[in-house]
Amino acid sequence: MPQNEVVQDLGLDQYKYHFITEDEPVFRSGRGLNERVVREISAQKEEPAWMLDFRLRALAIYNAKPMPTWGGDLSNLEAVLDQIHFYVRPQEKMERSWDDVPVNIKDTFERLGIPEAEQKVLAGVGAQYESEMVYHSLKEEWESEGVIFDSIEDGLRNHPELFREHFGTVIPSADNKFSAMNSAVWSGGSFVYIPKGVELRTPLQAYFRVNQEQMGQFERTLIIADEGSKAHYIEGCTAPVYSTESFHSGVIEIVVKGGAHFRYTTIQNWSNNMYNLVTQRARVHENATMEWLDGNLGSKLTMKYPSCFLVGEGAHGSILSIAYAGNGQHQDTGGKVVHAAPNTSSQIVSKSISKGTGRSTYRGLCKVYEGSRHARSNVECDALLINDTSRTDTYPYIEIEEQEATVGHEATVSKVGEEQLFYLMSRGLSEDEAMALIVRGFIEPIAKLLPLEYAVELNRLIELEMEGSVG
Amino acid sequence: MSESATTLLRAPEESGGPLPGLDRNAVEALVASGPPWLGQRRLEAWRVYEETPMPTTKEEEWRYTDLSKTLRLGELRLLPRQEREFAPEGAPALLTGSMRSDWAAAGHVVDLDGSVAHTDLEEEVARKGVVLASLARAVETFPELLEAHLATEALPASSGKFQALNAALWTDGVLLFVPRGVHVELPVRVTRWFSGPGRAVFTRTLIVAEEGSRVSFVDEALSADFPAQTLVSSAVEVFARRGAHVQFVSLQRMGRGAFHLSQQRTLADADAALDTLNVSFGASVARVDLNAELRGAGAHSDMLGLCFGEADQHFDHNTSQDHGAPHTKSDLLYKAALDGAARAVFRGIIRVHPGAQQTDAYQTNRNLILSPDARAESLPNLEIEADDVRCSHGATVGQLDEEHLFYLMSRGLTRAQAERLVVTGFLGEVLSRLPLGGVVEKVSGIIEERLRA
Repeated sequence: MPQNEVVQDLGLDQYKYHFITEDEPVFRSGRGLNERVVREISAQKEEPAWMLDFRLRALAIYNAKPMPTWGGDLSNLEAVLDQIHFYVRPQEKMERSWDDVPVNIKDTFERLGIPEAEQKVLAGVGAQYESEMVYHSLKEEWESEGVIFDSIEDGLRNHPELFREHFGTVIPSADNKFSAMNSAVWSGGSFVYIPKGVELRTPLQAYFRVNQEQMGQFERTLIIADEGSKAHYIEGCTAPVYSTESFHSGVIEIVVKGGAHFRYTTIQNWSNNMYNLVTQRARVHENATMEWLDGNLGSKLTMKYPSCFLVGEGAHGSILSIAYAGNGQHQDTGGKVVHAAPNTSSQIVSKSISKGTGRSTYRGLCKVYEGSRHARSNVECDALLINDTSRTDTYPYIEIEEQEATVGHEATVSKVGEEQLFYLMSRGLSEDEAMALIVRGFIEPIAKLLPLEYAVELNRLIELEMEGSVG
Repeated sequence: MSESATTLLRAPEESGGPLPGLDRNAVEALVASGPPWLGQRRLEAWRVYEETPMPTTKEEEWRYTDLSKTLRLGELRLLPRQEREFAPEGAPALLTGSMRSDWAAAGHVVDLDGSVAHTDLEEEVARKGVVLASLARAVETFPELLEAHLATEALPASSGKFQALNAALWTDGVLLFVPRGVHVELPVRVTRWFSGPGRAVFTRTLIVAEEGSRVSFVDEALSADFPAQTLVSSAVEVFARRGAHVQFVSLQRMGRGAFHLSQQRTLADADAALDTLNVSFGASVARVDLNAELRGAGAHSDMLGLCFGEADQHFDHNTSQDHGAPHTKSDLLYKAALDGAARAVFRGIIRVHPGAQQTDAYQTNRNLILSPDARAESLPNLEIEADDVRCSHGATVGQLDEEHLFYLMSRGLTRAQAERLVVTGFLGEVLSRLPLGGVVEKVSGIIEERLRA
């Protein structure tokens, strides 16, 4: 298996991210969510009045909306939310050079391999620590092309018109309870603009780290891929393991304009005490393509359904989802495609693995509005169960209002076959190796689309996770 | 409807006083006329009905069918059970025509407006101990069998609002009991006719097939169009004991104006084969809830359904396949062809419970959209809690395949003929999976008739 140093440090090892950095934040809001916290965040960020209004309206929506009763078990969440700090500011300002980032924070990201990866394989890097982006930088060649890759706060500050034109238009605050929460307390995240016709050859990466105990991270990302542009954005997430529960709720809005091509990759490897409730949606215009590549490996409960709203003729959406649920984990993931224009097409491929007491749930929607003539959509879900205590569910929703549409959904559930294991073992592999090989084969269609370093790490993770899984 | 048919089926409100509504007085009148155990069960069911809110689209199982807005229970009237005689000569042509087209049967039941008016059973079959009877009469003649099985294990009042309403207000229905080891070769045929607009009819079917027995049951519901909203609620409980083979077929051919709610539960013990077919052609709103529980090792259920909708018809099929024992198999295929502004909802769930290893469970829903205003919703779900299973599901929504049409037209068919052939073939796949004498021919005939209209 090909390996290199970057790979060693980038990725997804079995939980190697459990280290705690000793530091004191410069500001921390009190526990729980209330108007005072929202006003504090807005004041700390020195925001324009319209944004404070936006936040306060969102808070009212959040308070009015009931806790979802579907999906994962949220019965304990209200109690968790009462205990967490909604805003933790780790340093005074964001830096553009690693040298200026406070030493203990820099150490954290060095241990995660971020600065090294930046030099080798990335066009730009953003790093969020607790509630704020602590570092953001873009290679000069892209900056000179007019690419913007900045913290969301700087986006609002430096590009107010572009920001306001798009912010909250893909995911309105009232979309769901957690999009409302994020809209009230958002902090950190990226603001990205890819100018017309510009094609980024290497990915942009944002890295999210939660270090403090009992805190909530609410990054907000707004991406505008202008006509004919092409780019790939990667986010990775980790946190130390605490005995108490933490909370992460991001909102990612993407506008993919005519003919543009945008790929958004998430490798979520939060610690197993994290609630991860994220809303991700792209509005895809004529002949544009949006690809979500969603890998969910960590967290206690993830509820996340990346969406493509295909609003322009010929738009294409693709969602590739891979979920791994180990002991005590519930990955409630999937995707949504909404066809609202003719000749739109979409594809969802979901692969999940449940091991031990893990539970993987595919939840998806395919909606075709009347008038979306010749819309085509195909959904495939495969679930692999490793143990007799593992669980998998599939809940696809298919709503078709258009006669001239073709929509299909297929799902299978299986366990690793005795014959497959026997065959490989008779060729000299140990049982663990055979299991790992079969599981790798199972996720291969998605793993091969990952950047090499992630694919390699994913495979290594699978190998580690499969140790002792048989019998 | 002919003049004589109206006479035959005249309801008592035209001669007597006004009919009761769906209220506690109606339940108490039924309680007074039956044995105490049944009375208690009715009152308890009424309590559950009153305590259960009317389902709205906020509930997952009712997401696309909003009876809380469309079904006006308060305006419906109940027709008490009546002693009636069925005379084919005076009966409506739709009813007699349909019965005439049936093939040979081991026995017949004719139900008129919720009261059983006729039963017959082959002498030889009756001699073996098979019972085919009016459920209301069976309360007197088979009290123990009914007390043990009626609205207990299969469809207790607690299963839902409409299950409770039916358990409180049912007036009559059918009991079929097949003793251990008895094979009934020919199907039992039940034909129901509903005539009164604005009424609510509550009917129940109880089928108990003892160990190693075999029987097929075909239940057909017919009516003309109704000028006012009319409700037919049907509760079906099927028990297949160890090694029994049971086929249950429901043909729903009600007229417009009808709300047809059919709640069905099939319980298959070890090595039993319990297959169902639900055919929905009629009614304005037709909802079928079918739960198939495979509760003994080696149990097997084929679950088939087809519907053909037009105009503003609304069909909602809500199925579940519960695997509670190892080595069980279920295979579901539901298909809908939709013309006009018809709408079909399919919601199906496969649940493989912990310990149900070596389970095979399949679920397929296919929808053919024939008109710009038709629409389909499909929710095929899986919940798997055992690892050694083979489960898959698939759902499609699509239109007529131009290539198929082109092929047929190049062979000399007109477009209309080609379309008819493709639709017939599409729905026919379901029938080919349950080759029950007479049913396939009858349903195919109805499909072709509708395609020609």
